[in-house]
Amino acid sequence: MGAVRSALNIVCLLALLALVAALATACLTASDRGVPDIERRATALNKSIMCPVCPGESIDQSQNSLAIQMRAIVREKIDEGWTDQQIRDFLVERYGPSVLMEPPASGFNLAAWIVPPVAFTLAIAALLLTLKWMRMSAEAERRLEEEEAVGNQQDYVSRIEDALGFEDTAERGSGQQGEGRSGGTRQT
Amino acid sequence: MIVDTGQIALALALIASVYAAAASILGVSRRSTELLVSGRFALYSVLPLLLVSTGALIYAFVTNDFSVQYVAENSNLAMPQAYTWVAFYAGNAGSMLYIAVVFSLMAVIAVVGIRKALPYTSPYATGIMALVLAFLLGVMVFLANPLARLAIVPSDGQGINPLLVHFGMFIHPPLQMAGLVSVAIPFSIAIGALLANRGGNDEWVDQGRLWGMISWVILTVGLMLGSWWAYTILGWGGYWAWDPVENSALMPWLAMTAFVHSIMVQKRRGMFRMWNMIIVIVGFTMAQMGMFINRGGPVPSVHSFAQSTMGWLFLAFMVVTLVASVAVFIWKSDTLRSRGRLESALSRESVFLAQNALFLTVAFVTLWGTIFPIFSEAANDTVVTVGQPFFNRVNGPMLLLIVLLMGVGPLLPWRRATVSHALRLVRVPLAGGLATGVVLLAVGVTRPVALVAFMTCGLVITGILYEWLRGTLARHRGGEEYPIAFVRLLSANRPRYGGYVVHLAIIMLATGAIASSFYSVQRDFAMRAGDSANVGDYNFTFIGTRHATFPDRQEDYARFEVFKGDSYLGIMEALRAEYPAFRIASTQGAIHSTPIEDFYIVPSEFDREGPAIFRVLINPMVWWMWASGPVLVLGTLFALSPRRRTAPAVAPARTGAGTVRA
Repeated sequence: MGAVRSALNIVCLLALLALVAALATACLTASDRGVPDIERRATALNKSIMCPVCPGESIDQSQNSLAIQMRAIVREKIDEGWTDQQIRDFLVERYGPSVLMEPPASGFNLAAWIVPPVAFTLAIAALLLTLKWMRMSAEAERRLEEEEAVGNQQDYVSRIEDALGFEDTAERGSGQQGEGRSGGTRQT
Repeated sequence: MIVDTGQIALALALIASVYAAAASILGVSRRSTELLVSGRFALYSVLPLLLVSTGALIYAFVTNDFSVQYVAENSNLAMPQAYTWVAFYAGNAGSMLYIAVVFSLMAVIAVVGIRKALPYTSPYATGIMALVLAFLLGVMVFLANPLARLAIVPSDGQGINPLLVHFGMFIHPPLQMAGLVSVAIPFSIAIGALLANRGGNDEWVDQGRLWGMISWVILTVGLMLGSWWAYTILGWGGYWAWDPVENSALMPWLAMTAFVHSIMVQKRRGMFRMWNMIIVIVGFTMAQMGMFINRGGPVPSVHSFAQSTMGWLFLAFMVVTLVASVAVFIWKSDTLRSRGRLESALSRESVFLAQNALFLTVAFVTLWGTIFPIFSEAANDTVVTVGQPFFNRVNGPMLLLIVLLMGVGPLLPWRRATVSHALRLVRVPLAGGLATGVVLLAVGVTRPVALVAFMTCGLVITGILYEWLRGTLARHRGGEEYPIAFVRLLSANRPRYGGYVVHLAIIMLATGAIASSFYSVQRDFAMRAGDSANVGDYNFTFIGTRHATFPDRQEDYARFEVFKGDSYLGIMEALRAEYPAFRIASTQGAIHSTPIEDFYIVPSEFDREGPAIFRVLINPMVWWMWASGPVLVLGTLFALSPRRRTAPAVAPARTGAGTVRA
């Protein structure tokens, strides 16, 4: 039975992996598809530059005539051998800093980049502290309840003994028993 | 005449909603059942009244009654007759009316549902819903009346933005708006329970979860249809751009995703009572933020369809509800002590909490990026853009971590797991993830980030399928046939297995997103009729253009004959339309979509003479993203579906755990 089960598991896993392999070879591995590197570079650069007159769209995405012009500029500069940074600087000089899709990591705009990792760290720290606190308060509550239970039991025993009329022995007996019990719980 | 009736109905609806709010609040403080009943019926009456107003507005559209200002601004004689029936929500005032109608419908259904189930909470919840309605209606009656008349009747209207005259327009925006406003229902129920001092016993949880999930699924489908519309219709080859309005719709979705998970902890373990209140408050605030940014918010966006100066009013309402609900929360927070205790940091509860923390962090970071340009402008007077690359970089890793938790969390048991037990539980999924990585490396997928992301997806899928396999086998050993064993396994705990189905859908979505963002290629071609070109093994010939003239637009189709390898894929037509009256051009790509990849042609520029420029994209696995939508909806419905009362005797006897009140 166990052998059948693990065989079935392995068959399922293999089938899944075969599917992954088939899908991946079909569409992911033929990834350059004959597109020249220079065009890839232009596309990547276009995606990082905002179209100044079409809010929210990169020049790669926009069909606006200015975007088309700017794409031509990018392509021209790449052909002239400019680096990506030079081209970006050139466009910033022409159209202002908002032409970049990402805020520059300098000056006040550094805050845009610092806040997300700080927020993440704080969230994780808060999570860990909360978990710890919840564990501790749960533990404390459990201990309190246990002690209460012991207390209740002592009370109960002494009341029974009272009722049975063992007045003399009751004092001694309950005292001893109580100590014994509470001592016992402390040890466990 | 009909328009006047609609006007009167709108004013009456405002009065009724104000009365419903006042009567509910007074009824509680004076312990008057009559007042409460009258308040409830006042809320019910808003729905038919608003239906009359909506009917009047639709009538004005269909009959081209340009004496109504809103109709004159958002319709014209050239608008196709079919669209006049639904065009009323394309502008600011009409979309407000739409939101109010949808919300009043949901409010009526919700109140009918909670009236008996939550007798103490119901009046407060009714009052809160009535206040939200009163706000929407007040704005409409006094500031943006969709039925207001013009003194001088124009002979023709201005028409609506042509990009909106499309089938996609009639699904995505209404669903998105319905999703945003629907968050107010779980909010009302939760805050109502809190006000009634019932937050501490978990009676509101079933109704809160039900409405939280309804709201979640509407938001999800709205977002997915928006992406799908952008991808297939707007013709730029992408589906998500981290645009401010997209972000503002994503933020409440993130909060509600956190909510539908953490509410399960309260349902099952009586914990996270305060936390759920906080999340539902955050969700509602973010939903209102979404409406604010959409309606004349401060950040430029491509979604400026309902632009107006009313945005600030929404912001004010948001601040008021936020302050009020936080005050209620603080005032009543001592009623929210947990029943259950956290027994171990290694338990499903803790993973839920971690997931919540991550979702809220993603929401916060998204908000931060969306509004950062405002801070930057205020601080040093330069405008900066915070766009797609920023969000991909800061949110990408956190979203991946969430996917990882999605694989691990459901495997861990409630309460506690020992380390060795936990390791045993994640052993098989971990192996699946690693095996995925090995296979992908072997076939040549080498980009590290994509590889890690795919491995994470592999881990989650293995975890889910292994659970199903194991459960089915266990039942089979009990004497059931495999198919029956599988079906019974799933229906024995519907919230759980419905959740797994939703998780599978999310993995489909994630896989498509990862594959297409790391492995898509694009190339621009200048072509004349008769030219051929190829990208990869796709070979296509530009065979010419076809022109069509319409009263409002000129359409040009570029026709292509496309082959992949030796197989003929057929004729593909990419469309470019010009709307002279609006000076807008719209493009619609030609897409050949398969589960493996999409071959996508965008007409960038073409006129009737000279070479045309086309952009060709190959987007791998995007098909899976759209296919995940129906799976996700089915999974949600399954998770919400009530269990049959006569459960099979073999089902584990956990009374109340798996049942949902529908």
